[in-house]
Amino acid sequence: MWKHYVNISFSRSQIRKNSDARDRISRSRNREILDGSSSGVVYPKPHGFGYIMRSSLCIYVVGFFGVASVSAQGGFPMSGQTPTAAQQPAQANASAPTGGMFESNTFLEMANRVFDPSSDSMDFENGSFEWKGKNFNLSEQRAFRSRFERFLLASPTEEEEQYAHLMADILERLSVSNNTSDDAILDTWELLFRASRFDLDGGNSTIVANQVFNAWRIRKESRGVSMTQRELQQVRQYQQEVVANRAMSLQNIRERRLRETSAGQRDDGEASSDGTESVTSEAAYRMLDLAETEARIIALETQSAMTGLQAKLQFQSQIVSFMLQRRFEHALVLAGFYQAIFKGSHQSLEVGKDQLQEFLPGSDLAFTVDSMTFIAREAINDVNKGVEAVNAAYKEDRNLIALERLQEVFFLGEYLTELNKIPTDQRRHMLDLYRGLIEAGELAQAKDYDGVSELAVKIYKLAEDFPKNRVLSSVETAKSMSDMAVFAASQYRNLGDIDKARSELQTAINIWPSNPSIREFQQETTKLATAGSQGVQIFDDLYKRMDRRGIYERRMDLGFALAEDTQRRPLLMEVVEQVARIDLLVNQSKELVKQGEAYAAWELLVEAAKVDPSDGPMNQARAELAPRVADFVLQLDLAERQSEAGHNAGALAAYLAAQDIYPVSRLCRQGIQRETEVLMSGLRVQE
Amino acid sequence: MLQHMPRYYHLHLCFLGALLLIAGCDGGKSSNFETLPIDNYLQKPGDFLGNRYVLRAQIKEQLKWEKGLGRVLAVVAEGSEARLPVFVPEAVAENLHVGQRYEMEAIIEEGGLIYVEALRKY
Repeated sequence: MWKHYVNISFSRSQIRKNSDARDRISRSRNREILDGSSSGVVYPKPHGFGYIMRSSLCIYVVGFFGVASVSAQGGFPMSGQTPTAAQQPAQANASAPTGGMFESNTFLEMANRVFDPSSDSMDFENGSFEWKGKNFNLSEQRAFRSRFERFLLASPTEEEEQYAHLMADILERLSVSNNTSDDAILDTWELLFRASRFDLDGGNSTIVANQVFNAWRIRKESRGVSMTQRELQQVRQYQQEVVANRAMSLQNIRERRLRETSAGQRDDGEASSDGTESVTSEAAYRMLDLAETEARIIALETQSAMTGLQAKLQFQSQIVSFMLQRRFEHALVLAGFYQAIFKGSHQSLEVGKDQLQEFLPGSDLAFTVDSMTFIAREAINDVNKGVEAVNAAYKEDRNLIALERLQEVFFLGEYLTELNKIPTDQRRHMLDLYRGLIEAGELAQAKDYDGVSELAVKIYKLAEDFPKNRVLSSVETAKSMSDMAVFAASQYRNLGDIDKARSELQTAINIWPSNPSIREFQQETTKLATAGSQGVQIFDDLYKRMDRRGIYERRMDLGFALAEDTQRRPLLMEVVEQVARIDLLVNQSKELVKQGEAYAAWELLVEAAKVDPSDGPMNQARAELAPRVADFVLQLDLAERQSEAGHNAGALAAYLAAQDIYPVSRLCRQGIQRETEVLMSGLRVQE
Repeated sequence: MLQHMPRYYHLHLCFLGALLLIAGCDGGKSSNFETLPIDNYLQKPGDFLGNRYVLRAQIKEQLKWEKGLGRVLAVVAEGSEARLPVFVPEAVAENLHVGQRYEMEAIIEEGGLIYVEALRKY
């Protein structure tokens, strides 16, 4: 604050030097105004205040439901699952709609928290901004955003700095510690016109000047009234004296007449009665004049009181208005003039009590001009501290915090020049961050997760305290939930449960409308419906040739085609299960080969061969592995041949030999048990 | 003490010793059957059906036992590493333990089964 005052004194001298000529003209004109020799003042004109569901998704849904009506006969489980097994994942995901919506809502709640750059003290729903228990009327969010962005786009100017100095000078001059003589007040008043020429002032200094001028004019009128009152009082005194004299004269005349009557009663009776009547009527006239004068005095007194009260109320009203508009400096200036013009006993606010109750809810204090001054000074100090906090947070790379605090500070100190302490570069950075957050919030509302992720990364580059990982994690969770819902929809579709499939698809769309899996699902469904009509013939041909692999590869198409075919559908399911088992065993075998377990891998392929010895992929795997397990295979083959030839002991011996090669062989163990049992059975029969 | 015996006693002792020696030599081979040609048997057990062989082997594992019937053992024959299945009827069997060595007289039964008719430790 001391530094501030130093700056103020400097600006005072500078300002004075630069505009001496204008001051002289202005002063002479204003004296005229005060003397009443001019009809009014020409003020400078106040400066004005420069102040999806997506169509493609609909196509998906329509497409799917169109197809669904074709394929509503039902389906069959995929991937070799039994009907029960296939139902399980679908049923497990049957809870996905609820879970999905929950996830979607959770994401939106997270997005609302993370991407909302507004400060907690700003309540756009109720349109209020709370500051230290005081409620300011917050404008509509878009209007606030546009003003805030305009501030972030603006750069501090030298003109604004000059204005700040001028306002500080005016406030300093109005301070009670300074000269508060009429001349000093007049000088200060003239500075208001200079302040009003700045854009930043918004013409409010002119309003202050007008109020002050109005008060002075009323005072002058009041002086004229006082003069008239004094004259009337003199007249009244004269009239009272006249009336009093007339009454004394009348008394004297009466007494003299009485004496004369006692001296010569009879002769002059008529003449004396004429003289008394003329004195009486003149006294009555004089009494009437006196009453008129009294009435005029009372009227003038009333007029004087009314005019004074009106000036005071206008002043107070304007102070309250400035406070509510957050024009704290102007409120201070006007309060300063008020205190200079009106007596100390007139400090209590008579107007704007309702507005002040709203401004200071729950307060039962008596509102005075001083209390308004205190609040205005506190607000200015708070803006100063807020700006320092913003700059400190920015320097420490806590840009998200800096942005939140900046919004509070901006709203409170929108019309204060203290905000100019925020440098241009910092404002631009904050603008990028602000726009990024708003855009990310809008993308989150539209559930464009890819866009949100991309923006989250960009925002993190602008603000390291932005919770990027939380956003990315939520995005991934939401995407997974949508994918799971699509998967569940596929399962239900294949089972022929169209209602549930529709519900799951809707869930997937709700969570992530642009999920690419939804389009794939739609294309797959369309393809299935088309292939369904030719499915019966294809299945019969393949089954006749026992081409299990061929059936398996067309299982989706055939599933739709045979959904209602009670004869073929179980056969189809059986084949699909068989081939799925072969695939499973072949894949496991490959894994074992990778682990160096060649004999174990061979055993799995032997199991697979039992399902379908002609299966292509399985035989290919066997051919690739056979050289590595030739000795083992040789014994197993010998065992099988001996067994087929009825030489069970030979088969048993071969199994024992094979077991010596691969001791943990399941095939050998089973073969040994089987052949031993056969031998024992034969012996039992012989016994 | 021999000096006090009569001379014909010396002759009798010599005769008994010769008998015992002959008897001891016979105890090493209790049977006149041939030894089972294991490699050939493993390849074509059907070719050996009805034949009797002698098998000197060590018990490796008992594969199955059935009360009143007998047991199937896996044995390793001398001069071979392959395990062979043999059936030992309950009437023939004693307490058989893994690791014991036996000389077995066996017949190749149906299915190529080595059916043990007699055995003794060696």
